[in-house]
Amino acid sequence: MTAAGAGTGPRTNAPDGPLELAARFEKGIDLAKVRALVAEVREKGGLPAEEVTTLNLVSIHFSQGGYERNRASMEAASALHPARLISLIAEPKKEPAAVVARVAMVRPRGSAHALERIVLTATGAAVRYLESAVTGLLAPEVPLVVLWGGRPEGALLEHAADSADRLIIDSGTRPLATLGTVARLLRRGAPVGDLAWARIFPWQALAADLLDLPNLREHRAHLQGARVTTVGAPGPEAALLAGWFASRVPKAKVEIVAGHAGAAVATAAEARASEPAKRGDEAALPRSEPVCEGDVQELRFEAPPAVFTLRRDKGILVAQVDGDDDGAVLHRVRLPPDAPGRLLALELKLLAGQDEIYVAAVEQAARLLALPAGTAAHPERP
Amino acid sequence: MPYTQEDDEVQNPLRVGLRAETSPEPCAMVVFGGSGDLAHRKLLPALYNLALGAHLPGAFAVVGVSKSEYTDQEFRAEMREAVGKFSRIKPVQEEAWADFAAGLRYCAGSFDDPGTFEKLKAVLDEVDQTRATRGNRLFYLATPPSTFPVILKNLKTAGLINKVGEGPFTRVVIEKPFGHDLHSARALNTLVLEVCDERQVFRIDHYLGKETVQNLLVFRFGNSIFEPIWNRKYVSHVQITAGEELGIEQRGRYYEEAGILRDMIQNHVLQLLCLTAMEPPVAFDADAVRDEKVKVLRALVLMQGPEEVSERVVVGQYRAGSVFGVDVAGYPEEKDVAAGSKTPTFVAMKLLINSWRWDGVPFYVRSGKRMPKRATEIAIHFSELPHSLFGSGATQPNVLVIRVQPEEGITLRFSAKVPGERYRPRSVSMDFRYGTAFGASSPEAYERLLLDALRGDQTLFTRKDEVEAAWRLVDPILRVIEAPEAPAPLPYAAGTWGPPKADQLLARDGRQWRRP
Repeated sequence: MTAAGAGTGPRTNAPDGPLELAARFEKGIDLAKVRALVAEVREKGGLPAEEVTTLNLVSIHFSQGGYERNRASMEAASALHPARLISLIAEPKKEPAAVVARVAMVRPRGSAHALERIVLTATGAAVRYLESAVTGLLAPEVPLVVLWGGRPEGALLEHAADSADRLIIDSGTRPLATLGTVARLLRRGAPVGDLAWARIFPWQALAADLLDLPNLREHRAHLQGARVTTVGAPGPEAALLAGWFASRVPKAKVEIVAGHAGAAVATAAEARASEPAKRGDEAALPRSEPVCEGDVQELRFEAPPAVFTLRRDKGILVAQVDGDDDGAVLHRVRLPPDAPGRLLALELKLLAGQDEIYVAAVEQAARLLALPAGTAAHPERP
Repeated sequence: MPYTQEDDEVQNPLRVGLRAETSPEPCAMVVFGGSGDLAHRKLLPALYNLALGAHLPGAFAVVGVSKSEYTDQEFRAEMREAVGKFSRIKPVQEEAWADFAAGLRYCAGSFDDPGTFEKLKAVLDEVDQTRATRGNRLFYLATPPSTFPVILKNLKTAGLINKVGEGPFTRVVIEKPFGHDLHSARALNTLVLEVCDERQVFRIDHYLGKETVQNLLVFRFGNSIFEPIWNRKYVSHVQITAGEELGIEQRGRYYEEAGILRDMIQNHVLQLLCLTAMEPPVAFDADAVRDEKVKVLRALVLMQGPEEVSERVVVGQYRAGSVFGVDVAGYPEEKDVAAGSKTPTFVAMKLLINSWRWDGVPFYVRSGKRMPKRATEIAIHFSELPHSLFGSGATQPNVLVIRVQPEEGITLRFSAKVPGERYRPRSVSMDFRYGTAFGASSPEAYERLLLDALRGDQTLFTRKDEVEAAWRLVDPILRVIEAPEAPAPLPYAAGTWGPPKADQLLARDGRQWRRP
C-alpha cells in the first residue's frame, strides 16, 4: 500500500487550544508519518518523549458531531486513567475517499500530564483502512478499551467487541429496544460496559445502604416487589435498575411504570447529545445531571410490612422507609456532580471482562420488557 | 426492631457485586476544637471536598465546639473562608457549599463545663430532627491531649456515648500525640477505654491516609515479584527518611514538649517501618493488618541504657543556616523555645528487627526539621552481587525507593550497559510517578481518613497495642536523651541533613545515607 501524505503544517483548533498537526492521505495511511507527527507535536510542546499510559482508549464515531460529543468526556476521564486517545471517525458516504490524521497533545483540566490524541477521519472507501491503522497505533501491553459512539449493533461493533478488552456503550442515549441487542452481545461474551449503568450507581448504592443499616437488616430476607417509576416513558436506565433488582431478588415481582414527564428538561438522548455545549464549559459549576424524559424518578420496593421509597429530588436522592417498627426512616444522598467524563472514568475502573451484575441486569431488563433478542449481524449503519 | 447478629446472617442481596462505593450511614460529626487550626486547615476543607464528591451521607451535620463565641452563621462564615483558602478544589462551588453549610452548627463552651455538653446534647437532638442524622455520632477531638480526659468524661456523663451494638453508633477520633511516653499512653488508653470500646476508637495518624503509604500495601501484596526478595536474603538494609525544610514555625511551645521522637518517630516513621517490614496479613481488614504491624513493633530490638542509645541513636538540633537560599534562624532563637533547650529536632537511628525475615538487616531511620528539602521516602537497598562479571565496583546494588512525599512514586535503580562501549555498566533509574500515572489529584489524607471513620473502617487507624508497642521502643531512648545529665543534641546547620555523626552511624557499617 502506498500512501501519499500532504502535511498541512501546524495549526490549532482554537486560539487557546492545543497545538495540532495534521496530514491528509489520499490512498492508505502512512503510519510512519502519523508517528512522526506525534513525535513532532511532543517536541514542539516541550514534552518528554515517553509518557505513562495505562490503556488505549479508542473511540469509534460515524460523524464529526458524534466525536465532538464524546471528546471532552474522553479527555477528562483520561485525567484519572492516562490513556492513548485514538478516535476514528468513519463517514463512508462522504466523498472523496481520503483519511485525515490530526495529532495533538492535550492536557486535561486538573491533570499533571499530557495525553496523545490522534484523530483519524476517513471518508468514502478509505474507511476500510481505519482498522489496520488503529492496530498499528495502539500502545503495546496495555488494555484496549473501545468507546462506541454509534448504535450498539452491527458487524463492526461485534468485531470491536471481539478484539477489545472492554467495549463501552451508552444505552441511555438509545431507544429502549437497544437493551435487547446488548443482551445478545453479552450472551456471546462481549465485554460490554455501559455509561447508563454507571448512571444508576447512586440508586443502587442507596438501596443497598438502606439494607445495611443495622435496624433495617431484618428486612433483607423479606424483599418482595419493586416498582421503578420514570419521568414520562421509561428509558434504558429505568429498565436496567428494574432488571438489576429483579436479578438480585429473583422472587420479587418487578415492574416499570411511566410517570409524569413534567419535570423533564428533554429526552435523555437530546440532553446528552448537547453534552459538549453544556458540559464543555469547564468553568461552569458541576451540578447533578438534569432530569430527562425516561429517567428514573422513583424506586420503591417492599419487604412487608416495610416499604422503601427512593425518590430523586433535584440533585439529591431521598430515601424513606415506612412500616418499619422503628418508625419512619429518612436517608439522603447527594447525587454526584455531572462533571465531564465522570461516568466514563467509573466504567474505566474495570478494564477487562464482563461485569456479571450488569449482565444479569440486562438479561432481566430484556425479559421484563419482553424485548426480542436482537437482530442478526449486519453492516453498521449508524 | 433492634439490630441482632442474626440479621447479619442474611446477605444483603442488593450489595452483592455492587461497584458503587458504600456511603456512610447518616451521622452528626462533632468537632471539639471547632474554631481551631486543624478544623480550619484540614477537617472542614476535607469534609467539604467529600461533600463535593458526593461521598458524605445526605443526612449529615457538623457541630463545632470551642470556647470562642460564634453564632451558627458566624461559624459558617468562618468555615467558608477556611474552605476557600485550604480546600484542594478551588474555587468554592457555592451551590455545594450552601448545601454543606446548611448542616453546620456551633456550640460555644468550655470543655470542662458539663453545661457545654448539655447544650451540645440539645443541639445534637435538634440536628437529629432537622438533618435526619439518626443519633449516630462521630466525635473528633481536635484539641490538645490534655483536654481528652475531661471531654471524654463529660461526653459519658451527658449520656452521649452509646455502647457498641446498642442503638446508634458512637465513634471517637483522637489526634496524636497518643500520650507523652509509654506510661501516659497507657493511662490515656485506659481512660479512653473506660468510656468507649476499642472498636469505637479511631486514633488518627494522617500519614496512613496518604495514597502512597496505602500504595505500599498494594505494591508489596498486589505484585508477585517483590515479596520473594523482600527479606534478609536479598535486602542489605533499609533507609527511611522523613525530613522537611520547615522549622518549628509558630509551634515552639508544642515542640519543646514533643521533640522529633514524639512528633515523628513514635507515629509516622514507625508506621512506615511497619508497612515496609510486616508479613502479609491474612486478610485486608482492620485487625489482620494491625496484627501484623504490631508483630513488627514487638520484634524491634529495644535499646537499653545510655551506651546502647549512644551507639545507635544520634540526636541533633538545628542552628542558623540557609534553606532554599534564604537565611533562617536556629532552633534556640525560635519563639517559645527555652534558653539552653535540649529538645532534639533531628534524630537518626539504627533499628533492628528480630524476625526470620529481617534478622541482621538494619533499618536506618532519620527525621528532622530544617533539612535541605522536604522528603519522605523508604529506600530498600538490595545486596551486592555475589560476583561481578564486569569488574570490581562496576555495578551498584539495586535500590528500590518508595517516595511518600513530595513527587510520590517508586524508583528502581538497576544496571544497564552504556551504549557503544564494551560491557560497561551504569546505574539507571526506572521511575514511576504516581501523579503522572494517575493524573487526577489525590484526595487529601484527611479526606480518606474521615471517610473511613464515618464508615467505621479502622484499618488505617492505630490500635491500642500498636501505640503502646511503638512507645516501648521510643521510651528507653527518651529516658536517656532527656536525662538531666544527657549531653545536648548535636548542632547542625539548617539546610543540611543533620549532624555529621548521623553519617558515621552508617559509615561504621560501610554504608552511607541516600541523598533524597
